[in-house]
Amino acid sequence: MNKIVLFIAVLFLFSTQVQAKTDVYGKGVSIAEKTPVSAILDDPDAYIGKPVRVEGMILEVCSKRGCWVYLAGDRQGEKIQVKVVDGEIVFPMSASGRMAVVEGVVEELKMSRQEMIKYMQHLAEEKGQPFDPATVKDERMIRLKGIGAQIEG
Amino acid sequence: MKWRKFNIAIHRDLGYLCFGLTILYVISGIAVNHIQDWNPTYALEKRVDAIDLGGLDLFDDRAVTTAVLAQLGESGELKNIYRQDASILKIFVVDNNLTVDLDNARVFQEKSNKRPLLYEANFLHLNHAKKLWTWFADLYAFCLGVLAASGILILKGRKGLAGRGKWLVGAGLVIPLFFLWLYC
Repeated sequence: MNKIVLFIAVLFLFSTQVQAKTDVYGKGVSIAEKTPVSAILDDPDAYIGKPVRVEGMILEVCSKRGCWVYLAGDRQGEKIQVKVVDGEIVFPMSASGRMAVVEGVVEELKMSRQEMIKYMQHLAEEKGQPFDPATVKDERMIRLKGIGAQIEG
Repeated sequence: MKWRKFNIAIHRDLGYLCFGLTILYVISGIAVNHIQDWNPTYALEKRVDAIDLGGLDLFDDRAVTTAVLAQLGESGELKNIYRQDASILKIFVVDNNLTVDLDNARVFQEKSNKRPLLYEANFLHLNHAKKLWTWFADLYAFCLGVLAASGILILKGRKGLAGRGKWLVGAGLVIPLFFLWLYC
């Protein structure tokens, strides 16, 4: 019985040590060529449905489920949302401000202006930040469906 | 019968073995079940403070950051700085994200602290660890199945599966089916 208890203890310690060393999420990143966020946002139709690798600083993390992050673009003030399936990848709150490499498929979210305002308002409320509906101009949201990520520790 | 004695031993020892993780999963399960109402993993504190930016070069991100952190008494490790535009500077400190509104000399802070015990319980329950833990959790789930199956076979007679046991097992199956019918 003592041997069984010892085995379980070693197994537990090993599993937590493996986790502590890794900064890879989901399936990781396999695409070598980087696509600038600006290129995706400038011509989204050329990228929709295609897998890309983007790099940038993580500006915001979904605080409830860790199911999305906003990645800073290469042009000042630009950012792109990376949405992952709940539970499949969970971004920790500590990821904000870290540099990340993300692989995902470019997707388009089409909404009416009302729906877009509601969605953006929800995101702002979640972050406790002010929101001005007048800033919502586009009715399509270009984002990445995240497959994997590497986040600098 | 010999097999019943063996069944009791399996049920008893697996029960001991699974106790700790079951309690952990109970705590996490209830916490995560109410995710719409609260954040089960982090305690978030959001606040807005006024700051004095007088005499500072507002395009010098480093200088502004040093001044803001000093005024707020924030001594956490600085992770990064991001200039969003002429009027917004984001400062990332460990467990605190600060958004500085340079036009209005205000700082929005979002402090996050891991909830003790719940963070760890959710980490395991929601399988954030992945890797080896996935297999261990699978093994645990299998053990729960064995516990359930061996549990209903412990007693025989009027209080066993052939007696009132069958009605209780039936009720346990009907309840989730009822909610499936109700909501799906």
